Amino acid sequence: MKRLLLTLTIYASLAFLLGAASDDRYTDLGNKIMCSCGCNQILIQCNHVGCTASEGMIRDLRAQVRQSSNDEGILDWFRANYGIAVVVAPQTHGFDLTIWIVPPIVAILAIGLVVWLIYVWSRRPAAMVAAGSAAVLDSQLTTFQDRARKETEL
Amino acid sequence: MSIVSFLSHAFNWPLFGSFSLLFAMALAAYTFVAGIVSLASSHPAAQRLGQSARRAGMATFFAITAAALTLVWAALTNDFSLAYIQQHTNRALPIPYKLAALWSGQEGSLLFWAWLLSAYGFVLRLRYKVDPKLVAYASVVLAGIQVFFVALVNFGGNPFGIMDRVAADGNGLNALLQYPEMVIHPPMLYLGYVGMSVPFSFALAALIMKYPGEKWISITRRWTIVAWLFLTCGIMLGAHWAYAVLGWGGYWGWDPVENASLLPWLSGTAFLHSVMMQEKRGMMKIWNVWLIFITFLLSILGTFLTRSGIVSSVHAFAQSSIGVWFVWMLSISLATCLFFFIKNRKHLDAENKLESLVSRESSFLFNNLVLLGASFAVLWGTLFPILSEWVQGHKITVGPVFFNKFNIPIGLFLVFLTGIGPLLAWRSTSWASVKRNFAFPAILSLVVGLLVFLTLSGVWSGHPSLAWVDRSKLYSVIAFALSALVIGTICSEFFRGGRVLQNKLGTNLFGGIYHLTRRNTRRYGGYIAHFGFVVAIIGIAGTAFNVDQEQEMGLGDKLQVGSYTLVSQKYTDDENAQYVSQAAILDVYQGGKFLETLYPERRAYKPGGQPDTIVAKRSSLKEDLYVVYEGKNQQTDRPIIKAYVNPLVNWLWLGILVLIFGTGVVLVPNAAQIASPVAVAVAAPAIDDKQMYPTPGATK
Repeated sequence: MKRLLLTLTIYASLAFLLGAASDDRYTDLGNKIMCSCGCNQILIQCNHVGCTASEGMIRDLRAQVRQSSNDEGILDWFRANYGIAVVVAPQTHGFDLTIWIVPPIVAILAIGLVVWLIYVWSRRPAAMVAAGSAAVLDSQLTTFQDRARKETEL
Repeated sequence: MSIVSFLSHAFNWPLFGSFSLLFAMALAAYTFVAGIVSLASSHPAAQRLGQSARRAGMATFFAITAAALTLVWAALTNDFSLAYIQQHTNRALPIPYKLAALWSGQEGSLLFWAWLLSAYGFVLRLRYKVDPKLVAYASVVLAGIQVFFVALVNFGGNPFGIMDRVAADGNGLNALLQYPEMVIHPPMLYLGYVGMSVPFSFALAALIMKYPGEKWISITRRWTIVAWLFLTCGIMLGAHWAYAVLGWGGYWGWDPVENASLLPWLSGTAFLHSVMMQEKRGMMKIWNVWLIFITFLLSILGTFLTRSGIVSSVHAFAQSSIGVWFVWMLSISLATCLFFFIKNRKHLDAENKLESLVSRESSFLFNNLVLLGASFAVLWGTLFPILSEWVQGHKITVGPVFFNKFNIPIGLFLVFLTGIGPLLAWRSTSWASVKRNFAFPAILSLVVGLLVFLTLSGVWSGHPSLAWVDRSKLYSVIAFALSALVIGTICSEFFRGGRVLQNKLGTNLFGGIYHLTRRNTRRYGGYIAHFGFVVAIIGIAGTAFNVDQEQEMGLGDKLQVGSYTLVSQKYTDDENAQYVSQAAILDVYQGGKFLETLYPERRAYKPGGQPDTIVAKRSSLKEDLYVVYEGKNQQTDRPIIKAYVNPLVNWLWLGILVLIFGTGVVLVPNAAQIASPVAVAVAAPAIDDKQMYPTPGATK
């Protein structure tokens, strides 16, 4: 049990560290913008010969990264100059905010529901257990379960 | 006059194809209507009517096969009087790609879909003796789906449309599709999509007729696994095609059409896991029925997204105006499912309930939650642009930033569950058991995680630094550690079971493991599939360490990417009947040592000059050197080369192959009990292996 908790703690700590991690801004922003030539590719991945859009957009991106430290401001600049659809990372305000908050809310509700269901079901009276098994001691039950696990298919 | 020429001129093939399709629709409609009447009627003749409906359903297969073969024949004989053939083939197209023309355009792919569905239906109806009444109901449901697709082929996108004027040559096949994998990728995906119709038909049939017991689950299990297997192959081939052809260095871009294939795969995976709870403990019946319904509906939704053009996609060649047909299909299917669910809901009451948070059941429940969570995140991100257009009046774009943000943590949690799930017993697991079974995998996981972290931090080179740390790389370290957890779990399971049989059968450990797998292919095949899954995860985790470099390269110029040095030797131009191409000849060095010569190429396909990339790769288990010839800079006229070093990418393909192999093992029947050459005292059966309740008086 301690090992399990230790493992979980270490992974949780690593996950916590993620918030403090930093990304290369050009790559990070370049991955949030689409090439406007219609190829449906990410700006820094667009590889069309003679693409009329990506070269200028990449130049603009480099200039914006040099001039501004506000990443959201840079994305807004691209939205204003190349159209809303050019940024593939939806905004974090207004209606677009819903795309970011709905999945975590649904996840929290679903996990809460599952945990609650398991809790409610596990508190049901022993009537659910088949006749004949009530007298079995916990230690015997564990033995039987271990054996059943080995001997049954799944 | 040759036979081919004679057959081409002596017969009106387009008319024959159109007639076959109309005939197929009449047969499918008859199967549907006569099937319903025979099931609803108690008249003595109803049974004979049901038999004729079944035979008509089987005949549908032959009618659609005739239509499909007619289209293939037209492609092979360059019959450009057919608009479809004119638009998707040309005379110079190699024969395999002419065969692929059947599914390379919308009308043909709908015909192909209808043909696959009829083939599945043929097998289903042929094997009706497995449970005549259940198959009769399932046949009616399947016939309903067939009616839709055959009507769609007849009236929404008929591939036998005639040109006003016959062209001398065709437009040719889309350049991106002229790649060997593309000949088999769409059929695999379609086999997966269409295959999900069969478990759906059985599930709805079982619900409609209030089928007693869980036998329908075991009847459909193989169907579901086979369909899932095809879907897995299709997704893998699509990803590999994107990697090899699109030339952007990656294999998955969260494109809406890619997402559409992932959605039924995720829900199908959830079903394949949760169905065990129904088989073993009679639980989660509602959940399972809805998982199958959802999987089928997502398959249709995927086709809708591909075909309707409602979301922007790199698969734009598949777009058309038949989306409204699929909206109706989705609505009717959902309404039918809801109606019978509400009507017969009581039939789906569970026989048992979950008893502990630490049990196999709860791990399956969380597994399902995670898979459906991933499905929801993918669906939400894919459909959000449409929602945004409705609400805000403009369509936004949702790219990898969103999908990675949610699906990477979800995926990591899934890997964690894959590791601990097999260690938990049904009903409830004691902490002592968890402790005992968890020790080795947990220690292995921690050691691997720590080793990777220290290696990346440069501890062994004497210059420790955390400069490499960023979000994606930390995720990768966690993925490596969790993969080790799963591999540890699987190895310990094989080791423990193998050792028992080794002693019993007097063989070595590997012999014991072999017999163990043969005795319980489902369980140990599942472990092999899990092993493949984590190997694939390791491959995906390598993505965080990709590096790339782009450069204009004149003759003799060098490009440094990762530990490789590329030196340009020559640039060539070529032309044949199919395309015009430009290629670079680049020597690859590593540490001053010559490795090999690579030939990245860029093609412009005739007619139309559609560009295509032929990537040059140097592959190993450690990494891929991936080189793209991007064409010439129009201002300087110098060639541009882009090179990527993609670590561990081959682990992804290898992992998926192992996953497919493991799933194949699951499909193999268990070997009969092997006689033990060594006398071993075996206690009397003490446990009912279904319910796992001790039988009084049977203990040692």
